[in-house]
Amino acid sequence: MSSRPDKRPMFDTVLIANRGEIATRIQRACHDLGLKTVAVCSEADRDASYGKSADVFLCIGPSSASKSYLNKDAILLAARLTGAGAIHPGYGFLSENAAFAEAIEAAGLVFIGANAASIATMGDKIAAKRVMLAAGVPCVPGPNTALPEDQSLVEQIALDIGYPVIIKATGGGGGRGMRVVTEPARLPDALALTREEARQAFGSPALYMEKFLQHPRHIEIQVLCDAHGNAVWLGHRDCSMQRRHQKVVEEAPAPGIAPEIIGPVGEACVEACRQIGYCGVGTFEFLYENGAFYFIEMNTRLQVEHPVTELTAGIDIVQQQIKAAQGIPLELTQQQVTCGGHSFECRINAEDPETFMSSAGVITGLQLPEGEGIRVDTHIHAGYKVSPYYDSLIAKVIVHAQTRVEALARMRQALADTRVDGISTNISFLRALLEDAAFAKGETDIHYLEQWLKQRATP
Amino acid sequence: MSAIDFSDPKTIAFLTEALTAAGVDGLEISSASGNLRIVVSGGESHVSHGVKASSKPAVIKAPMAGIFQPRNSASADLPHAVAAADVLGFLRVGDVLVPLQAGHSGVLNRRLIEPGTLVGFGDALFEIEAQS
Repeated sequence: MSSRPDKRPMFDTVLIANRGEIATRIQRACHDLGLKTVAVCSEADRDASYGKSADVFLCIGPSSASKSYLNKDAILLAARLTGAGAIHPGYGFLSENAAFAEAIEAAGLVFIGANAASIATMGDKIAAKRVMLAAGVPCVPGPNTALPEDQSLVEQIALDIGYPVIIKATGGGGGRGMRVVTEPARLPDALALTREEARQAFGSPALYMEKFLQHPRHIEIQVLCDAHGNAVWLGHRDCSMQRRHQKVVEEAPAPGIAPEIIGPVGEACVEACRQIGYCGVGTFEFLYENGAFYFIEMNTRLQVEHPVTELTAGIDIVQQQIKAAQGIPLELTQQQVTCGGHSFECRINAEDPETFMSSAGVITGLQLPEGEGIRVDTHIHAGYKVSPYYDSLIAKVIVHAQTRVEALARMRQALADTRVDGISTNISFLRALLEDAAFAKGETDIHYLEQWLKQRATP
Repeated sequence: MSAIDFSDPKTIAFLTEALTAAGVDGLEISSASGNLRIVVSGGESHVSHGVKASSKPAVIKAPMAGIFQPRNSASADLPHAVAAADVLGFLRVGDVLVPLQAGHSGVLNRRLIEPGTLVGFGDALFEIEAQS
């Protein structure tokens, strides 16, 4: 039986401040928990299927995301009008916006996510690195302070770290505001350019510097924490298959990493969460090279790829996130977390499979895969109009099987059974990628996909 | 700034030329004074325009989310004439009432939402037919 000893405001209605597949996913978790839902939309999403299955469906603004899904006031107004007691931000949009989390709390509502202080700390890469070092989380070599203005001091820092180094904006992320420097002669120009980029993109010219890892993999550790100091980690994921810093295929567990290597890292992540009083779900992102982990950032929200962990850990992460926001203590200990089998997720995007240009239009026919060990998270249906206004993700095909080889075979079949007519999608690209020998072997680095694409383009 | 006169043959010729040069098949412009439609096909162009009086009634939409409260909750007084500046109703958010202006003069002939209903941005609230 769940107890609820803290004084967080209880809620029975959740406003879902997002769209697309994740709006559908959150709505399912809410309804499974007996909670009512408010779906909000922009003009472009008026016909969304999740609007019909929500308890209340309300249009909050024009199609432009800045006037709807990123409009804090419109979302808070919708919560007030509908009597929602909590707001789930999903991923993207306002999910890691500390001011939004703060405004929700100030309005007496519950933000289903990390608190504003945690979001702000993890949004500042230097502050995040300090927290991680204090908790024993391994970090990329480099000082945990912003770079000084004095160029000779910066030159010395680079020499101490050892070239190649990477310069990053302290407030950056998503692959923007960073530059690799391979030799001392290139440092002055790189500093000037990155400072200016950081100032324009993130409102602050502050930079930091780290060792540049040349062939790392991208490994993630999923954590789940309550408001009572309990925290667990739910295994790991490999998200190295990326194009332009955007993940394409994810899998859990990350292949070829021994439990005795990743175990202490997972424990350190949990310790970091306890030290900062973290509540909710979160993801620690690492680069992994030559058997060592290096922390890069923590995402204080639900992630697109959370289903691969759900299938291996057998835990509904979204439900757990909502329960944590309700103040309910975690119902499982670390000893009870057992990950089994192997899972893959393929992101189906509305885009040209060769040029990757977004494709908008009406889906005239749709066939989605079904069967044992296959899950599809999507909001699309035949007749659905893919809007040009938002991210091109239209579905996630997720599979689970006992072994990686079996899971890969299941995913190949699932993609063969998937058909989306009327628009361009990346399905043929994914099918080809899954036939690649290196992908099938596993343990490819974050640059592999770009190189594979270049080789394919070469006649 | 003066409004462009879309019934002026010079304007239509200029637009047709620009569309042909850009390889665009057609153009449709709706303004307060009427509609203009140019279709360029196989080197020929077809132009049609009309005046608003014969077009569809103007639909007054909600500028934001709120509880719909018409100025006069009884619909028995419909239809009746309204001026563009007339307040037809309000959107209530707590204690705040946001006025809903007609924006068009004409005949208010339909109220599309029941009083007390929660409406969202862009929901249609009233229909006003322009007077010829």
